[in-house]
Amino acid sequence: MDVFLIRTTTSLLASSEGAAQAGEHAGPHMLSWVALFVYVGLVLAILFGFLAYAKKGLQTRVFKNPITQATEQVYLFIEQMCVGTIGPHGRKYIPYIMTLWLVIFVGNMVALFMPAAPTADLSFNLGLALVSIMYVQYEGMRSNGVLGHFRHFAGPKLGIALILISGIIFVIEIISELMKNVSLSLRLFGNIEGGHQAVEAMNHLGEGIMIGPLPFPIPFGFFLLPIKLLTVVVQAMIFTLLTCVYLSLVTHHEEEHDGHSHGAEVSAAH
Amino acid sequence: MTGNVLGLGIGLAALGVAIGLGLIGYSAMQGMSRQPEAIGKLQVQMLIALAFVELVFLLTVFVVPGTLK
Repeated sequence: MDVFLIRTTTSLLASSEGAAQAGEHAGPHMLSWVALFVYVGLVLAILFGFLAYAKKGLQTRVFKNPITQATEQVYLFIEQMCVGTIGPHGRKYIPYIMTLWLVIFVGNMVALFMPAAPTADLSFNLGLALVSIMYVQYEGMRSNGVLGHFRHFAGPKLGIALILISGIIFVIEIISELMKNVSLSLRLFGNIEGGHQAVEAMNHLGEGIMIGPLPFPIPFGFFLLPIKLLTVVVQAMIFTLLTCVYLSLVTHHEEEHDGHSHGAEVSAAH
Repeated sequence: MTGNVLGLGIGLAALGVAIGLGLIGYSAMQGMSRQPEAIGKLQVQMLIALAFVELVFLLTVFVVPGTLK
C-alpha cells in the first residue's frame, strides 16, 4: 500500500513538473490537468489543515492559540473590506470573499516555494474570475430584478430620442463586463507568473560565477523573495477588493435606502 | 528585427506604466501626509488604481508578442 502511494505520488509529481502530453490542456501558460489538480489539492490541504488547527482554539473564552488569533485577524480584515466597500449590507458576502481570499492567498504562498502554483496558471485564475463575475451578475439580478439588471447596463435614462446612444452604451457595458473576467484573471496570473520568470532570469544571471577554478553559482533570484511576498498579499487583496467593488456597483440601489435609514437612526440617537 | 521592435515596445510600455504608477504613489503619499486620518481609505483606492495601471503592462506583455508573430 505504501509502495503504491509513493509510486502514485511520484508519478503525479513527475507529470506535474514535466511536459504535458501533446493535446491535453497544454500551452505556454498552462500546467497539465494532473499538475493543476495536484497543486489545487496541495492548496486545499494546507488550507484545511490550518483551519482545523485554528478551530481547536475556538472553545476558550480568550483565543490563546496563535493560529486562531491570526485567523481572527484575517476575518476582521475581510469584514472591514466588505463593509467598507459594499456598505452595511456587505456583511452577507463575507463567506464568499473570505473563501476567495484564502484560496488565492494560499495559492500565492505556494507559488513562493514551488516551481508552479495554481494561481500561476491562467486556467485556474480564469475559473476564479468566471465564478466571481457570474456571482456578481446573480446578485445584481437578485437585487434589481433581471430586467433592472440589464437596464443598468444601458446607463442613465436618456429618453426615446437618444435610444441609439443608450444602445451603444449597452453594448460597450456588456463588452466591459466580459472583459472583467480577462482583466481579473490576467492580473493575478501575470503578477505571479511574472515573479517566477523574474526569479528564474536572475538565477540564470548568477549561474556562471567562478571563484578561481571552482564554480560558485549564486541564486540571485532569492533576493526577489521579499518583493514576491508583498505581491502575494497585495494580489490576493486586489482580486477580492475588485470583486467587492463589482458587487457594490450592482447592488448599490438598495444601499441608498439603508444609508438613509442608518443616518436617520444615528441622528435620532444623538 | 522583430525581436528588436518587440523589446523596444515592451520597454516603452514599461516606461509609461512606471510613470503612471509613480504618479499614483506620489499623489497618494501627498494625500496621506496631508490627511493622516484618511490613510485607510486612501490606501484602498491607491491599490485599486495601481492594479488598473499595472494591467496595461500585463496586457502589453501577453498580447503584443502574439500579434507580432
